[in-house]
Order: sequence, then C-alpha cells, then structure tokens
Amino acid sequence: MLDASHQSVLRLPRKPVGITKGPGETIHEYTFVSRDDEQQLKNGEYVYYELPDPTQSAQNGQGRRVLGRILKRVPLQLYPDTFLGEPEIAPSQVAAMMGYNSHTNELFELHVAIMGYYDYTTGSFINPWIPPQAGKQIFLADDAMLASVLSRKQDKQPGSATIGSLLTRSPDAVPVVLSVKDVVSTHLAIIASTGAGKSYLASVVIEELMQPQNKACVLIVDPHGEYGTLDQIMNGPLFSEPAEGRRAGYRAQVKIYKQDQVKVRISSLNMGDMRHLLTEMTEKQQYLLSQAMRHVKNLKKGTPWGVADLKRSINAVAKQKDDEDSGGDDSSTVRALEWRVGQRFEDSMTFDDTQHLDLPEIFKPGQCTILQLNDVDERDQQVIVATLLRRLNTARMDTERGKVHSGEMYLPYPVFVLLEEAHHFAPSGTDVVSTSILKQVLAEGRKFGIGVGLITQRPGKLDADVLSQCQTQCIMRIVNEIDQKSVASAIEGVGRDLLNNLPALSKGQVIVAGAGVNTPIICRVRTRHTPHGGESKDAPDMWRTYFNAEQQESKKRSEAPLNGNKPFTLLR
Amino acid sequence: MIIGKIVKSDSHITYVCQINGAYEAQEKPGPTDYAFGRFVRIALRAPENDGILFAATSEREDAITYAVGVIYDTILQNPAFGTLGPRLSNEAQVEMFSPDYISEKAILTYVMILGMIEQRNMRSGTREYISATHGIPLLSLELDSQVETMDDEDVCAFHFFNDPTTPVGLSQPYSADAYLHIGYVPHIISQRNSLLPMVTLRIIDQLERLFPQNLALLSIVKRNFAWRLKVETAG
Repeated sequence: MLDASHQSVLRLPRKPVGITKGPGETIHEYTFVSRDDEQQLKNGEYVYYELPDPTQSAQNGQGRRVLGRILKRVPLQLYPDTFLGEPEIAPSQVAAMMGYNSHTNELFELHVAIMGYYDYTTGSFINPWIPPQAGKQIFLADDAMLASVLSRKQDKQPGSATIGSLLTRSPDAVPVVLSVKDVVSTHLAIIASTGAGKSYLASVVIEELMQPQNKACVLIVDPHGEYGTLDQIMNGPLFSEPAEGRRAGYRAQVKIYKQDQVKVRISSLNMGDMRHLLTEMTEKQQYLLSQAMRHVKNLKKGTPWGVADLKRSINAVAKQKDDEDSGGDDSSTVRALEWRVGQRFEDSMTFDDTQHLDLPEIFKPGQCTILQLNDVDERDQQVIVATLLRRLNTARMDTERGKVHSGEMYLPYPVFVLLEEAHHFAPSGTDVVSTSILKQVLAEGRKFGIGVGLITQRPGKLDADVLSQCQTQCIMRIVNEIDQKSVASAIEGVGRDLLNNLPALSKGQVIVAGAGVNTPIICRVRTRHTPHGGESKDAPDMWRTYFNAEQQESKKRSEAPLNGNKPFTLLR
Repeated sequence: MIIGKIVKSDSHITYVCQINGAYEAQEKPGPTDYAFGRFVRIALRAPENDGILFAATSEREDAITYAVGVIYDTILQNPAFGTLGPRLSNEAQVEMFSPDYISEKAILTYVMILGMIEQRNMRSGTREYISATHGIPLLSLELDSQVETMDDEDVCAFHFFNDPTTPVGLSQPYSADAYLHIGYVPHIISQRNSLLPMVTLRIIDQLERLFPQNLALLSIVKRNFAWRLKVETAG
C-alpha cells in the first residue's frame, strides 16, 4: 500500500515551491525563500527536500524525502508604510504608478523544523543531522505522502482510529489516524478548555474504538451525563459487520448505567476509602474502624459483608478491647462510630451490602459501558472510581498471572477506561482516594492491558505525574496560562513549538502528539456519527419557548394549585 | 512653443538648454515658459535606417519621437559679471556696436530626461499619441536640438497610458487598462541634486491639476515626499 502511494506521488508533476536559503536559528531548522503565489505555505504546513538515498541505486532517482514543518513565515519584501496611507488605494496601484507593474511582489522567508525522512521499516522519522545545502529545491508534501507518514496506521486498518484530518489541507484530504494499540497501552489525555470540544473528540475516539476494525472494550466514567447519545452506536451500520465465513457477525453494544445503578459493595472498600468517606474521624475512631474492618474480613473470609456486619464487628472489637484493658471507657466512641457508619452507608444510593458492578458485565469487547455519575456526590464519585479501578487492576493482574480462570475476577482481554473530568480523580496538590490507584494503573497498565484516557479542562489542576504518564496527548484550545504551562511541561519536546498555536485553535481543532501518531499534528476533528450530547444550553431559546402559546396552557396546568392549595396526602 | 536649444550635457539624462534670447527666434519665450518644473520635449533625430532601436516606436514615417524632460534648474549666465572696471561705452552703446557681446548673456536651464513619447501631428492640428515610456532613453540628444514646451494635452498623454503587453514567460502587467504612470520618480530620487526632490513635488502638483480623479493616489506620493523634504529635513 505504501508503494502504491509512492507511485501515485511519482506520477504527479512536481513543482518546487521554494529554494533553500540556509540554516535556521537552531540546529534542526532551516530557512527557504518562496514567492508563494498560491498562498499554500501556511504555518504548520509540511514541506520536504530530497537527499540522495545511499541504499538505493543511482538510476532509481527517488531520494529520501526529508520532511519538515513550517514554523514561521517572515515577509522579505513589503510595501513601504507610506504606500499604505490611503485606505481606498491598493499599494500595488502606487507601485504600478511608480513603474513596478508586476503582479507578484511578495517574497517570504520560511523557517522549517526538520522532522527527518520517514523510515518505513522502523516506522519513524530519522533526522539527517545536517541542514539542507543552500539552493536545494523545496517541495510541498502531497496528501498521499502525508497520509502515509504522519499517522502510524492507515484509515480503516485494524487498530486504527481516524479522528479527523490534517488542518492545513482540505477536509478529509489527509486523515489523522491514531494507533489504537499505542493509545491504549500508553494512555491518552484530552485537554481543552471548556467548550473547545473535549467530549466531542472523546466521543469520536469512542466511535472509532467501537467500529468493527477495533471492537474495543471501553468504559466511560461520565460525571455530567454527556455521553448518553453514544447509545446510537448500536443502531449505526458503521458499527456492525455481518458474519462472513468463520468470522462471527459484530454489532457494537452500548450499556448505560444511571447513577442509581452504579453500586459499590461496602465490602470492597478499604480503610483509605473509609477515611475519605467518613471525614474527620478521631484517632480512636480510625483505630477502632480499622480493627473492625480487619475483624469483619476475617470473619467473612472473602464473602461480601454489609453495614450490619461492620457495626457488629465494631461492637465486638470494642468489647474485646474493653476486656483487655479495663482502663478507659470507649462507649461514646463506639456509639459515634456506629452512628456515622450507619448514617453514611445505610440508605445510600451508591453503597450497597451485596450489589456492585460486575466486572465481566461492564467490560466486554465490542461493548461501551457508560457510568453516568451525575447527581453523585464528588467524594462518592472518587470512591466509585477508586474501587472500580482497584478491582479492575486486581482482575487483570490475576488473569494475566493465571491466578483466576473464571468468575467475577476473570478478564482475559485488555480494557480502555475513559475518565471525564480527570482532575476530580487525581487533583494536583492533594491526594484523594483515587489518586494512588490511578497512578498505579497508569504506570503498570501497559503490562496488564489497562488503558486510561483522561479528559480534563484544567490540566493545571491535574496531578503532574498523572498527566505525564499519558503518552498520547490531544490538546485543544487552552487560554489559561497556567494550564498552557502545565501542558507544555507534559508534552514531548518535538511539539512544543506547536503549543504556541494553542490560543489560536478554533473549536474542533486539536493538536495530537505522542505515541499514537508519528509526529505532532494539528488536526481538524471529524464530524460525529452519533448526535452530540454535551452541548451548552441555549438559554435565550429555552426562555422563549417558555412563553410559547402551547407552553402557556401546560404551564397553567402545572402551576395550578392542587386541591385548593391544601397539602395533598397520598396516604389516606 | 520652442524655448531654446540644447547646448551641453552633463550626463546621458541631464542636458543644458539655452533659452532663446531676443532676435534668436520669432517668439521670445517668457519666464513662465521655462519655469521650474516645466515639462519640455526634444525631438530625437533617429537615423532613417536604424530599425533596431526604434522598431517598436517609429513604424510610421510621420511619427516623431520626443524625449520628454523637466526643467529643474536655471542659471543666468553673465560674462560681464565681475568686470567692475570703468567702461568706455554704456549698455546702449555696447548693444549697438557689439551685439554678439550682449548675446553672451544667456539663460541656461537644466533639463532632466524622464522618458519618451511618440506622437503624430496631423495637419488638422490634432495629435495622435502612439506610445509613451518612462525611464532612461536609449539615444542621447543632439546638440542644437530644439527644446519645446509641452501643453496639458501632451503632459496628460505622457502620464496616462497602458502598459505594453509583456512577452510570454515574464510576469503579467499590473493592468491592461490605461492608468497614471510616474515611473520616472525612482530615477529622479536616485540623482544627487538637492532640487530634484522639489521638482518632484512640483510635478505632482501639476498632475493633481491634470488628473483630479487620481488625487488619492498622488497624495500618497506627495505626502511621502513632503514629509521627507519638509519635516524630516527640518527636524
């Protein structure tokens, strides 16, 4: 396929766009001069020059194409300021009057960062370590060449995720394709300020993961309920494939768990979670609780236990302690602790004695599970994520090490977990209950096949270690300077110059860098196949509808006093 | 109107014209005829058989090619200046007895050549302008060539024309339509003479009068010159 694209490149007549002037400001830059009549040498555009390839015969004529990215465009020949004094008169008109009657007058010096020539065997760019000689012809890289070298995978190949197309080219000319293998094994970060299209891009990635070429196993932790529309995936013809020969048919599944369906079994909590949930426990209470938890775990030997069991254990432990040293009276501590445990876990929507999310049920290849945690308290969200990641990590570790072969903890396939509002789960500065397990998963996930995607609008508030573990970064418009700096420190060095473009990016434009692509790319995110759910509310429109004629009647009905404004009793 | 003749040159483009004195021509030019900044033309006497240089401009026999210049300096020549000794005869007597001595007093004007214009003068009195070019003429002027003033019609024709079509391969001209040209300004500026920038302003004043539709365009050049000559030099 690569050869075919090469051949098509050779057939096209090539016209140089400029001539090399000399080395640039740093060792990996060069400058060239171009008239750029067609206005095609945009910032971020890709150009190349040719070097003879020592491995190929001289007759072949095909050299190595050393690709570079335009960093800066400096005009060399500008009209004098005084020519621009009359708004109605074009400076070219003044120049023509003076006898310069040619159309072309612009000349630019373009600064190019050398990326290197693409080595198809290693799949990477190799720097020639020398700037081009002055006078070398510079060519604009064509679409086919860029499509084959910028992305690690080709469009629709197994393991590919086409998230959009190269921004500097016409839409769909050069697809930007993430390598799913690299994204999942080395984690993904989507960073953007609010309204730049984070959840849109994340949904595009999910759509790609759910397509037949990937059939991924995905879990989305969705604190705002923005991903509900992804259930349309189940109806989309793009997300299914008929059975063929020995291959079974495929249809992507989407499971949405509403907040009341997301349960955490109390017995899966550890002492850290307890401390997090029951804030400001006294030393005595903490000690007692940890003893009680040890007690109840020993008693139940791996089977689930509930609030009542814990309370009993608290009493048992306290009593045992009383017997051992008859010095102090701990009855008030016991009562307080009992009361707090009861108050926190009895009648809780999230915590349950027996039920919890069944791992093999929420993690299945070809299934995207969405945990909608809107209306769940932030502390509870953190505990949900922490317990889930902990169980997932154990399950994957035990499965990989061959400790389990069936049952609830048997997960014989890698998974991808997407965490929306990731700064809630690993905030910088403080440690919350989910921080340590998230760090552990990010560090070891590669070994056990747990990929994590972090989405955040405040990279400055996200733990720096967590951010730097994400090897593929999708960065959208960021205006806040602190956030820009924290992104710059996390992103790999090559793309740092691209970050200067961050405030200039529009909605739906993203800088993709890191392991998932061959080189940092500015990408235009493609249109979603499923409707978008994360739009901002159109307040004026909603206010207007409130006063619509048909709405007026129903409003009257709903606002009309029931039963003469007397309290209405259902229990009679 | 003929105002004088070429008597000397300082370079390929700067010539000295001696203004006709009394009795030298039918009509004696008045001071306004050779005023500072006045456009003049001098006919180029091209050899009949020299077809290479004038192939493009003198296809027709009756067409005349003129070099167009501008008066940028005037000198009043007076050999008697400095001879303060007593004279035997007074002015009136000298005029009577040695008229050639009187004619040694002369008005010399410096003319800078700005370009060429080719035109055909019809018997009916109308003129047909064939081409105009701005820049250095290929041929030099000859001594004793007659220097004529240009009227407004000539000046307009010299400044308002369309670019000749360019051969294939060269860059396209700015416009196919006729438009205002002052292509000689860059070469006026490049000369080292303190009066030349002032003459440019004077030229622009004349063009503003002749081309009111191009006031904005001319104002750009004028403002630029005025600033440099008047503000920057004074500051």
